[in-house]
Amino acid sequence: MTWYVLRRLAVSLLVLLGISAVVFLMLHLVSDSPGRVVLGQRASPEAVADFNREHGFDRPVVVQYISYLGQLLQGDLGRSYKLNENVGALLARNAGRSAMLSLAGLVLALLVAVPLGILQAVRRNSLVDRVATAASYVLYATPSFLLGLLLIAVFSQTIPIFPAEASQSHSPWVVFTDPRAMALPVITLAVTSVAIFAQYQRSAALDQLGQDYVRVARAKGLPERLILTRHLLRNACLPLVMLVGTLVPTLLAGNLIVESLFNYPGLGLLFLNSLQREDYPVLLAYTLIGGVLTVAGNFIADVAVAAADRRIELSA
Amino acid sequence: MSTALSTADGSTKADGGRVLTIRDLSVEIRRGDRVVRPVSGVSLTLDRGETLGIVGETGSGKSMTGLAIMGMLPAGGRVTAGSIDLDGRELVGLPAAQYRAIRGNDVAMVFQDSMTALNPTKRIGEQVAEPVRLHRGASKREARARAEEMLALVGLPRPAERLDDFPHQLSGGMRQRVMIAMALVCEPRLVIADEPTTALDVTIQAEILDLLDDLRSRLGMSMILVTHDMGVIARHADRVGVMYAGRVAETGPTPVLFARTRHRYTQALLSSIPSLTQDRHEELFSIPGAPPDLTVTQAGCPFAPRCAAATDRCRQEPPPPATEAGGHVYACWHPADGPAARARARLVVPAPVVTEPRLRVVDLRREHPAGRAGLFGGRRTVKAVSGVSFEVAAGETFGLVGESGCGKSSLGRMLVALDRPTSGEVIFDGEPVTRMSARTLGPRRTQLQMMFQDSNASLDPRMRIGTILREPLAIQGIGTRAQRTARARELLRDVGLPASMLERYPYELSGGQRQRVGLARALALDPKVLVADEPVSALDVSIRSQVLNLMRRIQLERGLSSVVISHDLAVVRYLADRVGVMYLGKLVETGTTEEVYGSAAHPYTAGLLAAIPEADPDAPRPPAATRVRGELPSPIDPPSGCRFRTRCALATELCAQKEPPLTPVTGTHHVACHHPLRRAESRS
Repeated sequence: MTWYVLRRLAVSLLVLLGISAVVFLMLHLVSDSPGRVVLGQRASPEAVADFNREHGFDRPVVVQYISYLGQLLQGDLGRSYKLNENVGALLARNAGRSAMLSLAGLVLALLVAVPLGILQAVRRNSLVDRVATAASYVLYATPSFLLGLLLIAVFSQTIPIFPAEASQSHSPWVVFTDPRAMALPVITLAVTSVAIFAQYQRSAALDQLGQDYVRVARAKGLPERLILTRHLLRNACLPLVMLVGTLVPTLLAGNLIVESLFNYPGLGLLFLNSLQREDYPVLLAYTLIGGVLTVAGNFIADVAVAAADRRIELSA
Repeated sequence: MSTALSTADGSTKADGGRVLTIRDLSVEIRRGDRVVRPVSGVSLTLDRGETLGIVGETGSGKSMTGLAIMGMLPAGGRVTAGSIDLDGRELVGLPAAQYRAIRGNDVAMVFQDSMTALNPTKRIGEQVAEPVRLHRGASKREARARAEEMLALVGLPRPAERLDDFPHQLSGGMRQRVMIAMALVCEPRLVIADEPTTALDVTIQAEILDLLDDLRSRLGMSMILVTHDMGVIARHADRVGVMYAGRVAETGPTPVLFARTRHRYTQALLSSIPSLTQDRHEELFSIPGAPPDLTVTQAGCPFAPRCAAATDRCRQEPPPPATEAGGHVYACWHPADGPAARARARLVVPAPVVTEPRLRVVDLRREHPAGRAGLFGGRRTVKAVSGVSFEVAAGETFGLVGESGCGKSSLGRMLVALDRPTSGEVIFDGEPVTRMSARTLGPRRTQLQMMFQDSNASLDPRMRIGTILREPLAIQGIGTRAQRTARARELLRDVGLPASMLERYPYELSGGQRQRVGLARALALDPKVLVADEPVSALDVSIRSQVLNLMRRIQLERGLSSVVISHDLAVVRYLADRVGVMYLGKLVETGTTEEVYGSAAHPYTAGLLAAIPEADPDAPRPPAATRVRGELPSPIDPPSGCRFRTRCALATELCAQKEPPLTPVTGTHHVACHHPLRRAESRS
């Protein structure tokens, strides 16, 4: 197990190195020179050249990448061109809020989807199952910005019970301190996931219901409810654990739209604004963090599944 | 013993001896518009301490009867008529909550072993303890203690250490012991064992069945043993119910039923089982046709369409139950008088022509890496096949027998060049196929064909039978499309199928028909060598004998060299001229069929033969000394010296030190054993 973790970590580092190199190169190719971005369109070419020389942006791209890596190793994510602030500090300020939003959405989605999926499997082809399946497809196909706008139209305009804008507080705990203001963003985020999760859970539970141990549990005289909770639940959740792990970065992308829609100051909003401002150090760091989350999500999912199902031996 | 019956409403108590009375039980399963009647008018009884065997083929309603007793019919299923009386209590129509209190407590069920019969994510201690907690309200600690006691009782070694194991850490035999412990932990009055040993090897099967017998008498239970195997019935059941198409064809005490067989189906069924004593040169009896469709209501006797003695009356009126002395009941208009007289077609076996061997296997080995590498590298390897040599002459059939995991299938795949050996050679007509490049091997493949066990998985579900049969010809570029179709038609005729099959899809065919198609496909290119891996293992007895006869006939007609691989010793005995017995990747004994079966020299062969229950209740039980005990060792670290020594009653110090080579007993009979059995000892 320890060996496995070490090996996976080494592989992960290589993957991250690759991601950083590709992104660094791509941004370098598409962007104007940093001097132009920082000094603006009206600055003279000489001033731009001076700025670039002063900050080492005139060196070959490989040298720049290596020096960027060197900074990274010291925990320095660079400096924002436009906000004149350390990127690390900038991200740290927003990361907690984004994470809390994602987590709230994920937890809500799982709380709804797991029981719903199992219910659908137990009552397969019933009215409940058909309606839920149909709704899942519709919701899954709905882009989250449209869904968010619809929710705002209904629950903020027609029946004004929730505000249309998310809480602007800088505390990461707003989900708890200001639940009313966070309701719509969290629900928007959760609904799309519920659609996928419930269908996934349904098919996993159907698989498990056909297994012999369910019949054996029935032969012991267990009531159906206990068969589901004691025997089926854990086995039927394993595929979902895997899915959630791989979806972590997607959730973050979902954040991007929801955050901008509800004007919630998190990583997603920061990314969008930086994109408009051509603030490359921020974009670079954001992409790297996405990579870290993808790798970490997969890794955690593997370990979690192995812990829940002892048949799986972890080997790299 | 009394035959008093309780009334249908269960108000009167049954007499002391009777535990279960099933009367006129009918079950129907509704799925959409289709209504299947898997059980129609079944009546059976069971006394205290008795084992009732219910025997029948797939779809005979034997398992459904068991599930009806448990109140666990599948979705859409219900009891439409009749009564199930357990110790004076009517089970039909019992409210769900009351039924649950009985299940696992008064009546328990042991299912067929499968990887998923135990919950893969729960520790076995917990799973065994669960019924005690549920029905006895025991505390966690009490239940755990009881689980440990029970696991010791079913013979799980070191039960205290095993309580926290997960199911995948146990072997198939051990898992089945855990299943039994789980079923019996509340000491039920009745245990229903549904094919409890079907997935297990024959040596393990014998142990499990003996364990069930022993526990039944120790715990004073009654048992219903549901099986397709007449041999298991003969050895382990006090009374038998033979089921066909949802009805009880015949029921009675086991010795009576075998000696004075009355129903024509029972008689035919008993005759179609390949036995270890029958004359190999006689064709097996086989029942024509296939079991009836249970969605259609039958007018007369359900067996009439397949029965040689059937008359118009059989087709129109259902036969009423007739009773003879000793509770022997049968439903047949033209009852037989005892087992069938054996007058069968003799097979014309050509005198063996001594030729160069067509197929020579020289010191064949196959190893593949196992699981994960150790911490410091150094992968362990599974030694699937470890140095096997034999020859097959033209027109000869060589049989490979052995239990699961002995390497027989790995060997088979190498014979037809589907896998490459780690070392050693397969020489076909003087040419080493194992060393050929893919290009030179290509055309030779036509000569080496394989017939697979699971025709359901080996026929592409999206291809019509015609396309499946034409494909090998098309790949080799033989003939025009029309010629290929003509050839496919010919092949179907050879395997006894109508030409109309060409347009069908595999799922439209029955298991026996699919296996015929599998054989036809293997024959499409007119091969010289046919390897058949478990060709009839997935088939029911009555269908199995049809396919076996067909294979035998084709072998003889075409002069094919074949290798038949099976765990079923009787099947190999019927098909093969010479036999090799495999154990953990090695041949331990080879010889002509008569030599190996008649005077087995290796203790393993003798043990295997002894473990097979003969379909004859009077057959003497083999002496305990010939029993193969324990579990198959891991092929990753096979035992030193003789690989069988860990399970051998005769093993000595020498066996652990020196590996015995194959040495001749007679000119054709070889054995790899330091202490070979002499003629008299091998089979009692």
